[in-house]
Amino acid sequence: MPKKSSIFFTPDSSRFFLVWITGVMAFVITLVIYGGGAAYSSLTAWQRSISGAATLQIPTYDDKGMSRADAIEQDVETALTILRASNGISGAELVPDDQMGRLMSPWVGEGAILSELPLPKLLNISVDTRNPPDFVQLKRDLADQVPLAVLDTHRIGLAPLLSVAGGVLHLIVFLLILLGLTTTFTIVYATRTSLAAHQPVIALIHLMGAGDFYLTRQYAVRHLKTAFAGAAAGVLCAVPILWGISAFVRHCAPEFIVATTSWHWAGLLLIPPVFAGLAFVTTFKTVLTYLKTFL
Amino acid sequence: MTSKLTAPIAELNGVSFRYAGGADVLKDMNFALNPGDFYFMSGDSGAGKTSLLSLLYLDRLPTKGRLRLFGSAVDEMSRAEKARTRRQIGVVFQDFRLLDHLDAFDNVALPLRIAGGKEGEIRRHVSELLAWVGLEKEMKSFPPELSGGEKQRIAIARAVISRPQLILADEPTGNVDDAMAKRLLHLFLELNKLGTSVVIASHNQPLIKHFNFPQLRLKDGELSIIQPASVVNMASKLFNKGGDHA
Repeated sequence: MPKKSSIFFTPDSSRFFLVWITGVMAFVITLVIYGGGAAYSSLTAWQRSISGAATLQIPTYDDKGMSRADAIEQDVETALTILRASNGISGAELVPDDQMGRLMSPWVGEGAILSELPLPKLLNISVDTRNPPDFVQLKRDLADQVPLAVLDTHRIGLAPLLSVAGGVLHLIVFLLILLGLTTTFTIVYATRTSLAAHQPVIALIHLMGAGDFYLTRQYAVRHLKTAFAGAAAGVLCAVPILWGISAFVRHCAPEFIVATTSWHWAGLLLIPPVFAGLAFVTTFKTVLTYLKTFL
Repeated sequence: MTSKLTAPIAELNGVSFRYAGGADVLKDMNFALNPGDFYFMSGDSGAGKTSLLSLLYLDRLPTKGRLRLFGSAVDEMSRAEKARTRRQIGVVFQDFRLLDHLDAFDNVALPLRIAGGKEGEIRRHVSELLAWVGLEKEMKSFPPELSGGEKQRIAIARAVISRPQLILADEPTGNVDDAMAKRLLHLFLELNKLGTSVVIASHNQPLIKHFNFPQLRLKDGELSIIQPASVVNMASKLFNKGGDHA
């Protein structure tokens, strides 16, 4: 005996269509949210790591090419003192010569004698990102006491990164709106197709005294279940692909931080209920509008 | 103002109806159907029987005049009121309108399920009624597997299962033999005795004469009421007696 919810439904292709389309949409949305989210998280992580560091260069030769060997040690000490005394700076260290050698080896070779090259002294500065220093004032203080020092806050490199991160975020939002609208219109189309296919049955049940809410609920609940099943299938298909991509990136390009947590994965569980809710509301409104064409 | 409790089941005041772009199918009808009335509706094909029934079961609205059902004007009813009103009307359609994907049991159970009946009671009532119309063995058969007469009996069972206050039947005995036709008419009679108003559109003149109820005669879109021969005879006898006394 059919249950009450299946009184007037005969098998029709619109249901298969709805399962398929919600499955595909959920699959794509999962990839967009997860992939785009990971890319955005990586960019912001890079941004944090860059904005958490700065560099001070103290040239070993003056602008006339004369060696400053006698003054360089004093300049380094003065600069370190100023930096360490500044608010918002959590640490300042001189990059040792052997580390400089390793950094420069791709350009000057392993056996190069660094002392013969006009390389500046480098000071790595750690910035407290939650309470960053006043870089303008810092530059002024350094200019007073170490006039040749050059402070690099990496702002130039940060600007395009910030712009890319913002672009990625906008792209994710745009794609989600596009996919959400496409899903909504598809549900409307599938509902209308199904209503047209079941028109004689609906007309009969309407004449028997079924209220608008009764008929609407039958459809909305049916599409809620269908969309949930389709979306769950779509997410399930996307998960192994995402897992594979994550594993590949970790293995082949560890410098790319795919910043995902268990929350990201748990967030995927929200996709089927969101699809189900969207299908319920969309179907409810579509059927209600259709029933208004009956007396 | 008439109370809804004592109001006619259906009341037509100057009701006309026409299909879009056509001429009037029903013209200026005035008629009241009271609780417990039993009418046959007759007329040639195209006389407007089905149109009049469709107004009464709220499939259409009059294009002119006022129709009241159970005391309420249909043009003033909300959608929820219309749905409630329809649940008080049982309809037997000429083309049965059974749902092919449901078996005989579920087709008959449909009005009870729409009304939110309990499954246990639905099972009991539907089984009893299907047995009464001689279809207990066809309970699990689907409409395409049934004969025209069997489908008609299911359509009738579906119309009466919820004990509606008004039964409208469009040629309900067109596909059954005389014996079954009389048996089915007795089902309507039993319900009528319990207070249900019945209107049956039929071409079956022998049957109409056999049951001897008043007729709603439709001709050229106009409605007239013909009293049964027994009532006419009684009236004439009373008139004659009255005349004798005078």
